Amino acid sequence: MGRYVTKRLLSALAVLFFVTLITFLVLSVIPGDQAVLSLGLDATSESIEALRSSMGLDRPFYVRYLEWLFSAITFDFGTSAVYGESVTSLIASRIPVTFSLTLFSIAVATVISALLGLFAALSRGKGADGIIRTAVMITSSLPSFWISLLALIFFCGHLGWFPVNGYISPAEGFAGFLRSITLPSFILAVGELALMTRMFRSSLVRSLSEDYMMACEVKGLSRARALFHYAGRSAIIAPITLIGNQAAKLFGGTVIVETVFSLPGIGRLLLVAVEQRDTALLQGVVLFITFMVVLMNLLTDIAVAAADPMIRLGEEGGR
Amino acid sequence: MKKAFIFLTLLFALSSVFAGGSSEKTASAPVKNVSNIITMAIPVDPDGLDPHVTASASTFQITSNIYESLITVDEQGNLIPALAESWSVSDDGLEITFRLRDNALFSDGRKCTSAEVKASFERLRGEESVRQNDYAFITSIDTPDERTVVFGMDSLNVATLSSFAYPWAAVVDVTQDNLRAKPVGTGPYVLKSWTAQQSLVLDRNPNYPYEVRNNGVKFVIMPDLTAEITALNAGEVDLILITGDLASAVEGRGYNIIEVAGNGLQLMAINCAREPLSDLRVRQAINLAVNKDEVIDAVWWGYGRKIGSHFPVVLKEYVDLSDTYGYDPERAKALLKEAGYENGLTLRLDLPKNYQEYVNAGLVIAASLENVGIHVDVNIVEWAYWLSEIYVGRNYDLTVVGHTGRLDPYALLVKYVSTGSDNYFNYSNARVDELLGIYQSELDEAKRVEYVQEIQRILAQEVPALYIQDPIQIFVAQKDVFGFASYPINIYQMKDVYRAR
Repeated sequence: MGRYVTKRLLSALAVLFFVTLITFLVLSVIPGDQAVLSLGLDATSESIEALRSSMGLDRPFYVRYLEWLFSAITFDFGTSAVYGESVTSLIASRIPVTFSLTLFSIAVATVISALLGLFAALSRGKGADGIIRTAVMITSSLPSFWISLLALIFFCGHLGWFPVNGYISPAEGFAGFLRSITLPSFILAVGELALMTRMFRSSLVRSLSEDYMMACEVKGLSRARALFHYAGRSAIIAPITLIGNQAAKLFGGTVIVETVFSLPGIGRLLLVAVEQRDTALLQGVVLFITFMVVLMNLLTDIAVAAADPMIRLGEEGGR
Repeated sequence: MKKAFIFLTLLFALSSVFAGGSSEKTASAPVKNVSNIITMAIPVDPDGLDPHVTASASTFQITSNIYESLITVDEQGNLIPALAESWSVSDDGLEITFRLRDNALFSDGRKCTSAEVKASFERLRGEESVRQNDYAFITSIDTPDERTVVFGMDSLNVATLSSFAYPWAAVVDVTQDNLRAKPVGTGPYVLKSWTAQQSLVLDRNPNYPYEVRNNGVKFVIMPDLTAEITALNAGEVDLILITGDLASAVEGRGYNIIEVAGNGLQLMAINCAREPLSDLRVRQAINLAVNKDEVIDAVWWGYGRKIGSHFPVVLKEYVDLSDTYGYDPERAKALLKEAGYENGLTLRLDLPKNYQEYVNAGLVIAASLENVGIHVDVNIVEWAYWLSEIYVGRNYDLTVVGHTGRLDPYALLVKYVSTGSDNYFNYSNARVDELLGIYQSELDEAKRVEYVQEIQRILAQEVPALYIQDPIQIFVAQKDVFGFASYPINIYQMKDVYRAR
């Protein structure tokens, strides 16, 4: 187990290195840089050159990349060109928002879709099954900007249940923080429902038709015990993988929901870094997102192994 | 396209139902923010808070409250004192003397004497500044005493004085090493906190000697306009800037609606160096094919003033040339035929993605051009791409964009000098070059007005662009919030905003 984790983390380092290299390459190939953006419509070719050289943008890209890489190794990710603030602290300030959004929405989506999936699986082929499957399909097909706006206008504006001007940090007040995070989390959860409900349903349907379910019945086990102890145990594997993937995706930020609810999450930071060609910031954000994806995949694998004794991590099979 | 339109209409209908439903509640709800702090919603973060290293309006709107320029403008564009309490121009026009106010202090308590002003202007003209060309006309800066700064110039330039009023000419404390994040100036406010993409809070500057009518300002960064209006309705913000299509959502609800001519220009630039756009008849046909009133109504819901040349309505030299080429698609077709394009032609139209209004305007124009046989390939591009490829690279046929206003006509029109490095129209006219050449040294005001008007007429005739409108900006304030005004340059004066008791 320990060796397996170490090995995975080492290969993650290689992944991180290539991701930053590719980001840097792409950013130096696409048109436009920070100098051009700062000058806007007041740009002249001379002033662009002058600003580029004062920002160090006139040096070849590999020099800038190596410079960035060497300081990144010492955990110095540089200063954002737009904000004049250290990249580390900018990203750190986003972590509470992005983490709580992700965890809340995944928790909500998991509970709801597990219940719906269970219900649909038990009434397989009947009316309720169809209704549930259609309903989650419809809710998940709604464009998130639209449902976010409607929810914002109705729940924040009309009913006044939640603050419009989004985010209240936990430091300012925990109750306020919960209020500011609830609505966007639910909206994100709605978007996850269809996939997760279908996954719960189909894995349950599969395990319900296994021979051991009949054995349970013959043995005289109660329906509930058969369902949760046997069917549920084997049906949980696929959903765990899916939950891990969805969480990894959400850790990468949710630009639209963050924008509508004015939440300072990773998604908007990524957006501004790309739009403003803020190289150091973009590198930092991309590193963070990649790291989260790698970490989530690792955690998912461990969770799956824990849930299913037939799966062993690593060649030795030791846990 | 049609489906998308119906969908959007439904969305707006729904949003207005919800928005309308909450009006009663807003009327009775207590205003949450009873302290004398003014909260204003803005769509994006400033591009740092150092006015010397950026050209972003979003920066100047905030830095104009933290720093002061030597002089500033009133709502009509007249020059008024700021850090300098008085000034004089020598008889030959080659020397300007500013007298600083007594005991001027930076927000950190350091004295702001003539030496600090000099250092700030040295920085503005220096390598890191994006304005080094604009202030290259200054050849010497002398500081005979603590409160006097004398700027010397080689040649006469009538635009000189107004160039000291722009927000980028702000006097900054050059001893600070990170003005982008930690600004220090002599203005009415100091930066209390700035949380990226969330909020920016200004406290009163204890060292500012003049009246400030509130206890501080909080800018909240809200990228979505519907969210801004919802926040206004909920009493969470005091002041927002909206677009014309949303004006009906705030009307009749007791808000203070401040409509101001924006001193700007919105236009579709035409690349005059490219075939077939180098042919005047083709450019004329493009102008005749588009019904500007329709564009203004469709895109800005009528909030804009139609123009016919590169000149904003608010400046005194303005001549109304908006009907030089009226809407006449038949004549447009005839001109195209004359130019040899009776079988149609294809042009590319590049639109900057993050300016939705320019994209919309471009789409309306493209539809009009199709009507006269000009096929338009619409290409929606990212802003950074637009700036480097279209604007600086001049690699385009047609593009829609806006220009912000200037106090002096020369600064506006210098784009049309044939050799100008920001002449992205690739326009060239010997008479325009000549007029712009003699304008700066002409001391007779009446003659200068004449020159500027002649240039306007030439541009209106030769149409290196489809000049659309001078925009009208709509600010909406809570009903007890007063004092917000708009200026012919891109600044906000938050010190005058107050909450009535």
